[in-house]
Amino acid sequence: MTFELSYDSKKRLVIGGVLVAVAGWIMVDAMAGGAEHWGRVLVRLPLLLTGQGDGWPITGGFALNILLSIASMAMATVLGTLLGISTLAQSPYLRLPAFFIMNFLRNSPWLVLLFAMLFILPFQVEIFGLRIPFPPFVKAVIGLALPTAANLSEVVRGAVQSIHSGQWEAARALGYTTPQIYRHVILPQALRRMIPGWMNLYALLTIATALATVTGIQDVLTILNTSLAMESERVLVYFYLTTLFLFFAYCYPIAIFARRLERAVKGDNI
Amino acid sequence: MKRSEALIEIDNIHKSFGNFEVLKGISLSVNEGEAVCIIGPSGSGKSTVLRCINGLLPIDEGYIRVGKHRVHELRSEKEMRPLRHQVSMVFQQYNLFPHKTALENIMMAPIQVLGHERAEVEDRARKLLEKVRLGNKADSYPGMLSGGQQQRVAIARALAMQPEIILFDEVTAALDPETVKEVLLTIRELVDDGLTCILVTHEMKFAREVADRVCFTDRGLIVENAPPAELFDTPQDPRTREFLGQVL
Repeated sequence: MTFELSYDSKKRLVIGGVLVAVAGWIMVDAMAGGAEHWGRVLVRLPLLLTGQGDGWPITGGFALNILLSIASMAMATVLGTLLGISTLAQSPYLRLPAFFIMNFLRNSPWLVLLFAMLFILPFQVEIFGLRIPFPPFVKAVIGLALPTAANLSEVVRGAVQSIHSGQWEAARALGYTTPQIYRHVILPQALRRMIPGWMNLYALLTIATALATVTGIQDVLTILNTSLAMESERVLVYFYLTTLFLFFAYCYPIAIFARRLERAVKGDNI
Repeated sequence: MKRSEALIEIDNIHKSFGNFEVLKGISLSVNEGEAVCIIGPSGSGKSTVLRCINGLLPIDEGYIRVGKHRVHELRSEKEMRPLRHQVSMVFQQYNLFPHKTALENIMMAPIQVLGHERAEVEDRARKLLEKVRLGNKADSYPGMLSGGQQQRVAIARALAMQPEIILFDEVTAALDPETVKEVLLTIRELVDDGLTCILVTHEMKFAREVADRVCFTDRGLIVENAPPAELFDTPQDPRTREFLGQVL
Protein backbone atom coordinates (compact mmCIF):
# COMPACT_ATOMS: atom_id res chain seq x y z
CA MET A 1 0.00 0.00 0.00
CA THR A 2 1.38 3.42 -0.95
CA PHE A 3 0.41 6.82 0.30
CA GLU A 4 -0.16 9.42 -2.38
CA LEU A 5 0.09 12.82 -0.72
CA SER A 6 -1.09 15.94 -2.46
CA TYR A 7 1.09 19.05 -2.42
CA ASP A 8 -1.22 20.73 0.09
CA SER A 9 -1.19 17.87 2.56
CA LYS A 10 2.61 17.63 2.33
CA LYS A 11 2.79 21.34 3.04
CA ARG A 12 0.48 21.00 6.01
CA LEU A 13 2.56 18.07 7.27
CA VAL A 14 5.79 20.08 7.12
CA ILE A 15 4.28 23.15 8.79
CA GLY A 16 2.75 20.94 11.48
CA GLY A 17 6.11 19.25 12.02
CA VAL A 18 7.87 22.56 12.46
CA LEU A 19 5.23 23.81 14.92
CA VAL A 20 5.49 20.60 16.98
CA ALA A 21 9.29 20.87 17.00
CA VAL A 22 9.17 24.51 18.17
CA ALA A 23 6.60 23.73 20.86
CA GLY A 24 8.69 20.74 21.92
CA TRP A 25 11.85 22.81 22.17
CA ILE A 26 10.07 25.46 24.25
CA MET A 27 8.76 22.82 26.65
CA VAL A 28 12.12 21.09 27.05
CA ASP A 29 13.83 24.43 27.48
CA ALA A 30 11.22 25.61 29.99
CA MET A 31 11.88 22.57 32.15
CA ALA A 32 15.61 23.24 31.94
CA GLY A 33 15.19 26.65 33.55
CA GLY A 34 13.84 28.61 30.58
CA ALA A 35 10.55 29.18 32.35
CA GLU A 36 12.23 31.65 34.64
CA HIS A 37 13.60 33.55 31.65
CA TRP A 38 10.18 33.62 29.95
CA GLY A 39 8.89 35.01 33.21
CA ARG A 40 11.34 37.91 32.89
CA VAL A 41 10.08 38.52 29.35
CA LEU A 42 6.48 38.48 30.51
CA VAL A 43 7.22 41.13 33.12
CA ARG A 44 8.79 43.35 30.47
CA LEU A 45 6.21 42.65 27.76
CA PRO A 46 4.03 45.75 28.44
CA LEU A 47 7.19 47.82 28.20
CA LEU A 48 8.11 46.30 24.84
CA LEU A 49 4.61 46.77 23.50
CA THR A 50 3.79 50.28 24.68
CA GLY A 51 6.96 51.84 26.04
CA GLN A 52 5.51 51.95 29.56
CA GLY A 53 6.03 49.36 32.28
CA ASP A 54 2.32 49.51 33.14
CA GLY A 55 1.23 49.32 29.52
CA TRP A 56 -0.41 52.75 29.61
CA PRO A 57 -0.13 55.46 28.33
CA ILE A 58 1.38 54.36 25.03
CA THR A 59 4.63 56.24 24.51
CA GLY A 60 6.65 53.90 22.31
CA GLY A 61 7.56 50.28 21.94
CA PHE A 62 6.05 48.05 19.29
CA ALA A 63 2.99 50.34 19.13
CA LEU A 64 5.32 53.08 17.93
CA ASN A 65 6.68 50.77 15.21
CA ILE A 66 3.14 50.22 13.96
CA LEU A 67 2.35 53.92 14.11
CA LEU A 68 5.57 54.62 12.23
CA SER A 69 4.71 52.03 9.58
CA ILE A 70 1.22 53.50 9.08
CA ALA A 71 2.49 57.07 8.85
CA SER A 72 5.27 56.10 6.44
CA MET A 73 2.94 54.04 4.31
CA ALA A 74 0.43 56.88 4.06
CA MET A 75 3.17 59.24 2.92
CA ALA A 76 4.68 56.60 0.60
CA THR A 77 1.29 55.94 -1.01
CA VAL A 78 0.83 59.57 -1.98
CA LEU A 79 4.45 60.04 -3.10
CA GLY A 80 4.66 56.67 -4.83
CA THR A 81 1.47 57.24 -6.84
CA LEU A 82 2.68 60.65 -8.00
CA LEU A 83 6.13 59.26 -8.79
CA GLY A 84 4.73 56.23 -10.60
CA ILE A 85 2.45 58.37 -12.78
CA SER A 86 5.30 60.80 -13.42
CA THR A 87 7.48 58.00 -14.79
CA LEU A 88 4.70 57.40 -17.34
CA ALA A 89 4.34 61.06 -18.32
CA GLN A 90 4.62 62.13 -21.94
CA SER A 91 6.79 65.11 -21.11
CA PRO A 92 10.47 64.21 -20.62
CA TYR A 93 10.80 67.11 -18.14
CA LEU A 94 8.59 65.17 -15.78
CA ARG A 95 9.46 61.62 -16.79
CA LEU A 96 13.25 61.74 -16.65
CA PRO A 97 13.64 63.33 -13.19
CA ALA A 98 10.98 60.96 -11.84
CA PHE A 99 12.79 58.02 -13.42
CA PHE A 100 16.09 59.14 -11.92
CA ILE A 101 14.68 59.73 -8.42
CA MET A 102 12.85 56.40 -8.48
CA ASN A 103 15.94 54.44 -9.46
CA PHE A 104 18.16 56.30 -7.01
CA LEU A 105 15.85 55.62 -4.08
CA ARG A 106 15.13 52.04 -5.07
CA ASN A 107 18.83 51.22 -5.14
CA SER A 108 19.80 52.85 -1.85
CA PRO A 109 20.09 50.85 1.37
CA TRP A 110 17.21 51.82 3.66
CA LEU A 111 19.51 52.23 6.63
CA VAL A 112 21.74 54.65 4.72
CA LEU A 113 18.70 56.68 3.66
CA LEU A 114 17.55 56.85 7.27
CA PHE A 115 20.94 58.09 8.41
CA ALA A 116 21.00 60.57 5.54
CA MET A 117 17.59 61.97 6.52
CA LEU A 118 18.77 62.26 10.09
CA PHE A 119 21.53 64.62 9.01
CA ILE A 120 20.02 66.28 5.92
CA LEU A 121 16.72 67.32 7.50
CA PRO A 122 17.07 70.27 9.86
CA PHE A 123 15.93 70.24 13.46
CA GLN A 124 13.15 72.59 12.43
CA VAL A 125 12.17 74.81 9.51
CA GLU A 126 10.73 78.28 9.63
CA ILE A 127 8.28 79.29 6.93
CA PHE A 128 6.64 82.71 7.17
CA GLY A 129 7.33 82.83 10.86
CA LEU A 130 5.67 79.43 11.31
CA ARG A 131 7.99 77.04 13.04
CA ILE A 132 7.69 73.44 11.86
CA PRO A 133 9.78 71.12 14.03
CA PHE A 134 11.31 67.94 12.68
CA PRO A 135 11.48 65.58 15.65
CA PRO A 136 13.26 62.23 15.15
CA PHE A 137 9.91 60.50 14.59
CA VAL A 138 9.13 62.73 11.60
CA LYS A 139 12.61 62.14 10.23
CA ALA A 140 12.10 58.41 10.58
CA VAL A 141 8.73 58.63 8.77
CA ILE A 142 10.31 60.53 5.88
CA GLY A 143 13.39 58.30 5.78
CA LEU A 144 11.30 55.15 5.53
CA ALA A 145 8.65 56.65 3.24
CA LEU A 146 11.17 57.58 0.53
CA PRO A 147 12.40 54.09 -0.43
CA THR A 148 8.90 52.68 0.05
CA ALA A 149 7.49 55.33 -2.29
CA ALA A 150 10.10 54.44 -4.91
CA ASN A 151 9.18 50.76 -4.70
CA LEU A 152 5.48 51.57 -4.71
CA SER A 153 5.91 53.71 -7.82
CA GLU A 154 6.93 50.55 -9.65
CA VAL A 155 3.81 48.79 -8.38
CA VAL A 156 1.71 51.75 -9.55
CA ARG A 157 3.45 51.87 -12.91
CA GLY A 158 2.92 48.16 -13.48
CA ALA A 159 -0.74 48.36 -12.54
CA VAL A 160 -1.38 51.39 -14.76
CA GLN A 161 0.40 49.80 -17.69
CA SER A 162 -1.62 46.63 -17.29
CA ILE A 163 -4.82 48.52 -18.08
CA HIS A 164 -5.82 47.85 -21.68
CA SER A 165 -4.95 50.69 -24.07
CA GLY A 166 -8.53 50.68 -25.34
CA GLN A 167 -9.57 52.26 -22.04
CA TRP A 168 -7.34 55.25 -22.80
CA GLU A 169 -8.64 55.49 -26.33
CA ALA A 170 -12.28 55.33 -25.28
CA ALA A 171 -11.78 57.92 -22.55
CA ARG A 172 -9.93 60.29 -24.89
CA ALA A 173 -12.64 59.86 -27.52
CA LEU A 174 -15.18 60.94 -24.88
CA GLY A 175 -13.25 64.18 -24.34
CA TYR A 176 -11.48 63.37 -21.07
CA THR A 177 -8.16 65.09 -20.38
CA THR A 178 -5.19 63.04 -19.13
CA PRO A 179 -5.60 63.91 -15.41
CA GLN A 180 -9.32 63.12 -15.69
CA ILE A 181 -8.57 59.79 -17.37
CA TYR A 182 -6.29 58.84 -14.49
CA ARG A 183 -8.84 59.92 -11.92
CA HIS A 184 -12.02 58.46 -13.37
CA VAL A 185 -10.90 55.55 -15.54
CA ILE A 186 -7.37 54.27 -14.97
CA LEU A 187 -6.67 54.62 -11.24
CA PRO A 188 -9.97 53.09 -10.03
CA GLN A 189 -9.11 50.00 -12.07
CA ALA A 190 -5.38 50.02 -11.32
CA LEU A 191 -6.01 50.41 -7.59
CA ARG A 192 -7.51 46.94 -7.34
CA ARG A 193 -4.47 45.45 -9.04
CA MET A 194 -2.17 47.42 -6.76
CA ILE A 195 -3.59 46.14 -3.47
CA PRO A 196 -1.55 42.90 -3.21
CA GLY A 197 1.72 44.69 -4.06
CA TRP A 198 0.83 47.52 -1.72
CA MET A 199 0.24 45.10 1.16
CA ASN A 200 3.45 43.20 0.50
CA LEU A 201 5.30 46.47 0.60
CA TYR A 202 3.56 47.44 3.82
CA ALA A 203 4.69 44.20 5.47
CA LEU A 204 8.25 44.92 4.31
CA LEU A 205 8.05 48.47 5.61
CA THR A 206 6.81 47.32 9.01
CA ILE A 207 9.78 45.00 9.29
CA ALA A 208 12.07 47.85 8.27
CA THR A 209 10.72 50.13 11.02
CA ALA A 210 13.16 48.32 13.33
CA LEU A 211 15.87 50.30 11.53
CA ALA A 212 14.38 53.52 12.90
CA THR A 213 16.09 52.79 16.19
CA VAL A 214 19.05 54.71 14.74
CA THR A 215 17.02 57.93 14.91
CA GLY A 216 16.72 57.47 18.67
CA ILE A 217 12.93 57.15 18.85
CA GLN A 218 11.60 54.88 21.60
CA ASP A 219 10.68 52.02 19.32
CA VAL A 220 10.68 48.40 20.38
CA LEU A 221 14.34 47.89 19.53
CA THR A 222 15.55 50.99 21.41
CA ILE A 223 13.56 49.94 24.48
CA LEU A 224 14.87 46.44 24.16
CA ASN A 225 18.44 47.69 24.12
CA THR A 226 18.03 50.00 27.11
CA SER A 227 16.07 47.54 29.24
CA LEU A 228 18.42 44.71 28.42
CA ALA A 229 21.23 46.54 30.11
CA MET A 230 19.59 45.46 33.36
CA GLU A 231 19.07 41.84 32.35
CA SER A 232 21.40 38.88 32.47
CA GLU A 233 23.03 37.81 29.22
CA ARG A 234 21.23 34.48 29.12
CA VAL A 235 17.83 36.22 28.99
CA LEU A 236 18.83 38.17 25.86
CA VAL A 237 17.85 35.30 23.61
CA TYR A 238 14.34 35.21 25.00
CA PHE A 239 13.79 38.93 24.56
CA TYR A 240 14.98 38.88 20.99
CA LEU A 241 12.86 35.82 20.19
CA THR A 242 9.83 37.64 21.59
CA THR A 243 10.53 40.74 19.50
CA LEU A 244 10.98 38.64 16.38
CA PHE A 245 7.67 36.97 17.11
CA LEU A 246 5.93 40.34 17.53
CA PHE A 247 6.98 41.39 14.03
CA PHE A 248 6.10 37.97 12.63
CA ALA A 249 2.68 37.96 14.25
CA TYR A 250 1.90 41.36 12.76
CA CYS A 251 3.37 40.94 9.27
CA TYR A 252 2.66 37.32 8.38
CA PRO A 253 -1.15 37.65 8.33
CA ILE A 254 -0.74 40.67 6.06
CA ALA A 255 1.47 38.69 3.69
CA ILE A 256 -1.00 35.78 3.71
CA PHE A 257 -3.91 38.11 3.03
CA ALA A 258 -1.99 39.81 0.20
CA ARG A 259 -1.26 36.46 -1.40
CA ARG A 260 -4.89 35.46 -1.19
CA LEU A 261 -5.95 38.75 -2.78
CA GLU A 262 -3.35 38.30 -5.48
CA ARG A 263 -4.86 34.96 -6.36
CA ALA A 264 -8.33 36.49 -6.36
CA VAL A 265 -7.29 39.33 -8.67
CA LYS A 266 -5.47 37.07 -11.11
CA GLY A 267 -7.59 35.99 -14.04
CA ASP A 268 -10.07 38.69 -13.22
CA ASN A 269 -10.41 40.96 -16.20
CA ILE A 270 -11.18 43.95 -14.04
CA MET B 1 -20.62 68.54 -54.18
CA LYS B 2 -18.95 71.72 -53.05
CA ARG B 3 -16.23 71.28 -50.46
CA SER B 4 -17.29 74.08 -48.18
CA GLU B 5 -20.72 72.55 -47.60
CA ALA B 6 -19.40 69.22 -46.37
CA LEU B 7 -19.56 68.47 -42.64
CA ILE B 8 -16.29 66.57 -42.72
CA GLU B 9 -13.52 67.45 -45.11
CA ILE B 10 -10.33 65.43 -45.36
CA ASP B 11 -7.71 66.51 -47.84
CA ASN B 12 -4.59 64.58 -48.75
CA ILE B 13 -3.70 63.28 -45.28
CA HIS B 14 -0.53 61.32 -44.66
CA LYS B 15 0.30 59.25 -41.59
CA SER B 16 3.26 57.01 -40.85
CA PHE B 17 3.96 54.62 -38.00
CA GLY B 18 7.75 54.56 -37.89
CA ASN B 19 8.87 53.79 -41.43
CA PHE B 20 5.53 52.36 -42.48
CA GLU B 21 3.31 54.86 -44.26
CA VAL B 22 -0.26 53.86 -43.44
CA LEU B 23 -2.08 56.73 -45.13
CA LYS B 24 -0.63 57.97 -48.40
CA GLY B 25 -2.87 60.91 -49.21
CA ILE B 26 -6.48 60.15 -48.32
CA SER B 27 -9.13 62.65 -49.34
CA LEU B 28 -12.77 62.34 -48.42
CA SER B 29 -15.70 64.58 -47.70
CA VAL B 30 -18.87 63.64 -45.88
CA ASN B 31 -22.09 65.64 -45.87
CA GLU B 32 -24.41 66.09 -42.97
CA GLY B 33 -26.74 63.12 -42.52
CA GLU B 34 -24.69 60.90 -44.78
CA ALA B 35 -23.68 57.34 -43.93
CA VAL B 36 -20.33 56.43 -45.43
CA CYS B 37 -18.88 52.94 -45.23
CA ILE B 38 -15.18 52.31 -45.56
CA ILE B 39 -14.25 48.83 -46.70
CA GLY B 40 -10.97 47.27 -47.68
CA PRO B 41 -8.39 44.64 -46.73
CA SER B 42 -6.90 44.72 -43.24
CA GLY B 43 -3.91 47.01 -42.88
CA SER B 44 -5.18 49.34 -45.57
CA GLY B 45 -5.60 52.21 -43.09
CA LYS B 46 -9.36 52.16 -42.54
CA SER B 47 -9.28 52.43 -38.76
CA THR B 48 -6.44 54.94 -38.91
CA VAL B 49 -8.60 57.32 -40.96
CA LEU B 50 -11.30 57.21 -38.27
CA ARG B 51 -8.79 57.90 -35.50
CA CYS B 52 -7.43 60.88 -37.41
CA ILE B 53 -10.90 62.37 -37.84
CA ASN B 54 -11.48 62.70 -34.08
CA GLY B 55 -7.88 63.52 -33.32
CA LEU B 56 -6.95 60.30 -31.51
CA LEU B 57 -4.00 60.08 -33.90
CA PRO B 58 -2.18 63.20 -35.08
CA ILE B 59 -1.57 63.32 -38.81
CA ASP B 60 1.82 64.04 -40.37
CA GLU B 61 0.56 66.06 -43.29
CA GLY B 62 -2.72 67.24 -44.76
CA TYR B 63 -5.94 68.96 -43.77
CA ILE B 64 -8.90 67.74 -41.72
CA ARG B 65 -11.92 69.85 -40.95
CA VAL B 66 -14.89 68.63 -38.94
CA GLY B 67 -17.63 71.24 -38.74
CA LYS B 68 -15.76 74.36 -37.71
CA HIS B 69 -12.82 72.49 -36.13
CA ARG B 70 -9.55 72.28 -37.99
CA VAL B 71 -8.47 68.97 -36.48
CA HIS B 72 -4.89 69.06 -37.76
CA GLU B 73 -4.30 72.31 -35.86
CA LEU B 74 -5.54 71.09 -32.48
CA ARG B 75 -2.68 70.23 -30.15
CA SER B 76 -3.91 69.45 -26.63
CA GLU B 77 -6.68 67.27 -25.27
CA LYS B 78 -8.33 70.40 -23.97
CA GLU B 79 -8.46 71.94 -27.43
CA MET B 80 -9.91 68.67 -28.72
CA ARG B 81 -12.79 68.75 -26.26
CA PRO B 82 -15.35 70.58 -28.44
CA LEU B 83 -14.41 68.25 -31.29
CA ARG B 84 -14.90 65.16 -29.11
CA HIS B 85 -18.29 66.54 -28.13
CA GLN B 86 -19.24 66.72 -31.79
CA VAL B 87 -17.72 63.38 -32.85
CA SER B 88 -18.27 60.16 -30.91
CA MET B 89 -16.61 56.84 -31.54
CA VAL B 90 -17.55 53.19 -31.05
CA PHE B 91 -14.76 50.62 -30.93
CA GLN B 92 -14.30 47.04 -32.02
CA GLN B 93 -13.46 45.95 -28.46
CA TYR B 94 -16.35 48.00 -26.93
CA ASN B 95 -13.91 49.53 -24.39
CA LEU B 96 -16.57 50.01 -21.76
CA PHE B 97 -15.23 50.96 -18.34
CA PRO B 98 -15.39 47.66 -16.42
CA HIS B 99 -15.61 49.26 -12.97
CA LYS B 100 -18.83 51.11 -13.79
CA THR B 101 -22.34 49.83 -14.50
CA ALA B 102 -23.91 50.20 -17.93
CA LEU B 103 -25.85 53.26 -16.80
CA GLU B 104 -22.77 54.85 -15.19
CA ASN B 105 -20.74 54.18 -18.33
CA ILE B 106 -23.26 56.22 -20.29
CA MET B 107 -23.58 58.99 -17.71
CA MET B 108 -19.89 59.52 -16.89
CA ALA B 109 -18.69 61.64 -19.78
CA PRO B 110 -21.73 63.96 -20.12
CA ILE B 111 -21.42 64.81 -16.42
CA GLN B 112 -17.64 64.86 -16.03
CA VAL B 113 -16.66 66.24 -19.42
CA LEU B 114 -19.62 68.30 -20.60
CA GLY B 115 -20.71 69.35 -17.12
CA HIS B 116 -24.37 68.55 -17.70
CA GLU B 117 -26.91 68.25 -14.90
CA ARG B 118 -26.91 64.79 -13.30
CA ALA B 119 -30.68 64.28 -13.22
CA GLU B 120 -31.03 65.33 -16.83
CA VAL B 121 -28.17 63.04 -17.89
CA GLU B 122 -29.66 60.06 -16.06
CA ASP B 123 -32.97 60.64 -17.78
CA ARG B 124 -31.19 60.79 -21.13
CA ALA B 125 -29.10 57.69 -20.35
CA ARG B 126 -32.15 55.61 -19.43
CA LYS B 127 -33.89 56.65 -22.64
CA LEU B 128 -30.80 55.68 -24.64
CA LEU B 129 -30.67 52.29 -22.93
CA GLU B 130 -34.31 51.80 -23.95
CA LYS B 131 -33.39 52.82 -27.47
CA VAL B 132 -30.72 50.13 -27.71
CA ARG B 133 -33.17 47.68 -26.08
CA LEU B 134 -31.21 47.27 -22.85
CA GLY B 135 -33.52 49.13 -20.48
CA ASN B 136 -33.38 46.25 -17.98
CA LYS B 137 -29.55 46.13 -17.90
CA ALA B 138 -28.92 49.58 -16.43
CA ASP B 139 -27.29 48.23 -13.27
CA SER B 140 -25.29 45.41 -14.88
CA TYR B 141 -21.53 45.64 -15.09
CA PRO B 142 -19.94 45.18 -18.53
CA GLY B 143 -18.48 41.83 -17.45
CA MET B 144 -22.02 40.49 -16.97
CA LEU B 145 -23.18 41.48 -20.46
CA SER B 146 -22.72 39.62 -23.73
CA GLY B 147 -20.54 41.10 -26.47
CA GLY B 148 -23.52 42.35 -28.42
CA GLN B 149 -25.05 43.92 -25.33
CA GLN B 150 -21.75 45.59 -24.41
CA GLN B 151 -21.46 46.99 -27.90
CA ARG B 152 -24.97 48.44 -27.70
CA VAL B 153 -24.13 50.04 -24.35
CA ALA B 154 -21.04 51.50 -26.06
CA ILE B 155 -23.27 52.92 -28.78
CA ALA B 156 -25.57 54.42 -26.14
CA ARG B 157 -22.49 55.88 -24.42
CA ALA B 158 -21.42 57.49 -27.68
CA LEU B 159 -24.94 58.88 -28.24
CA ALA B 160 -25.09 60.34 -24.73
CA MET B 161 -22.51 62.92 -25.83
CA GLN B 162 -25.19 64.17 -28.27
CA PRO B 163 -22.76 64.05 -31.18
CA GLU B 164 -23.40 65.14 -34.75
CA ILE B 165 -21.13 62.43 -36.07
CA ILE B 166 -20.44 58.86 -34.93
CA LEU B 167 -17.46 56.83 -36.05
CA PHE B 168 -17.88 53.06 -35.97
CA ASP B 169 -14.65 51.07 -36.01
CA GLU B 170 -15.38 47.47 -37.03
CA VAL B 171 -17.99 47.32 -34.31
CA THR B 172 -19.20 43.83 -35.19
CA ALA B 173 -15.82 42.20 -35.82
CA ALA B 174 -15.48 40.80 -32.28
CA LEU B 175 -19.08 39.59 -32.00
CA ASP B 176 -20.76 36.21 -32.39
CA PRO B 177 -22.74 35.93 -35.63
CA GLU B 178 -26.07 35.87 -33.84
CA THR B 179 -25.39 39.06 -31.87
CA VAL B 180 -24.12 40.94 -34.92
CA LYS B 181 -27.69 41.39 -36.07
CA GLU B 182 -28.90 43.28 -33.02
CA VAL B 183 -25.96 45.70 -33.20
CA LEU B 184 -26.44 46.33 -36.91
CA LEU B 185 -30.15 46.94 -36.29
CA THR B 186 -29.24 49.62 -33.74
CA ILE B 187 -26.82 51.30 -36.14
CA ARG B 188 -29.36 51.23 -38.94
CA GLU B 189 -31.84 53.10 -36.76
CA LEU B 190 -29.25 55.80 -36.13
CA VAL B 191 -28.58 56.17 -39.83
CA ASP B 192 -32.33 56.38 -40.45
CA ASP B 193 -32.53 59.09 -37.79
CA GLY B 194 -30.21 61.14 -39.97
CA LEU B 195 -27.07 60.99 -37.83
CA THR B 196 -23.87 61.38 -39.81
CA CYS B 197 -22.03 58.06 -39.62
CA ILE B 198 -18.72 56.79 -40.85
CA LEU B 199 -18.44 53.05 -40.58
CA VAL B 200 -15.43 50.85 -41.06
CA THR B 201 -16.90 47.43 -41.64
CA HIS B 202 -16.44 43.96 -43.02
CA GLU B 203 -20.19 43.42 -43.33
CA MET B 204 -20.58 43.94 -47.08
CA LYS B 205 -24.30 43.20 -47.10
CA PHE B 206 -24.86 45.73 -44.35
CA ALA B 207 -22.70 48.35 -46.09
CA ARG B 208 -24.72 47.91 -49.23
CA GLU B 209 -28.04 48.31 -47.46
CA VAL B 210 -27.25 51.17 -45.12
CA ALA B 211 -24.60 53.35 -46.76
CA ASP B 212 -25.12 56.37 -48.97
CA ARG B 213 -21.58 55.96 -50.21
CA VAL B 214 -18.93 53.26 -49.95
CA CYS B 215 -15.18 53.87 -50.05
CA PHE B 216 -12.79 51.10 -50.91
CA THR B 217 -9.31 51.61 -49.44
CA ASP B 218 -6.18 49.71 -50.32
CA ARG B 219 -2.61 50.34 -49.20
CA GLY B 220 -3.30 53.75 -47.72
CA LEU B 221 -5.33 55.19 -50.56
CA ILE B 222 -9.03 55.47 -51.38
CA VAL B 223 -9.18 53.49 -54.58
CA GLU B 224 -12.84 53.89 -55.30
CA ASN B 225 -15.62 56.01 -53.83
CA ALA B 226 -19.17 55.46 -55.11
CA PRO B 227 -22.77 54.76 -54.11
CA PRO B 228 -23.08 51.15 -52.90
CA ALA B 229 -25.04 49.81 -55.85
CA GLU B 230 -22.41 51.16 -58.21
CA LEU B 231 -19.39 50.03 -56.20
CA PHE B 232 -20.65 46.54 -55.51
CA ASP B 233 -22.23 45.83 -58.90
CA THR B 234 -19.90 47.59 -61.33
CA PRO B 235 -16.56 48.17 -59.58
CA GLN B 236 -14.26 50.22 -61.80
CA ASP B 237 -10.86 49.47 -60.31
CA PRO B 238 -9.26 46.01 -60.69
CA ARG B 239 -8.21 46.06 -57.00
CA THR B 240 -11.81 46.61 -55.93
CA ARG B 241 -12.92 43.78 -58.17
CA GLU B 242 -10.31 41.46 -56.70
CA PHE B 243 -11.24 42.34 -53.11
CA LEU B 244 -14.97 41.98 -53.69
CA GLY B 245 -14.37 38.71 -55.48
CA GLN B 246 -12.66 37.39 -52.36
CA VAL B 247 -15.18 38.52 -49.76
CA LEU B 248 -18.53 38.22 -51.54
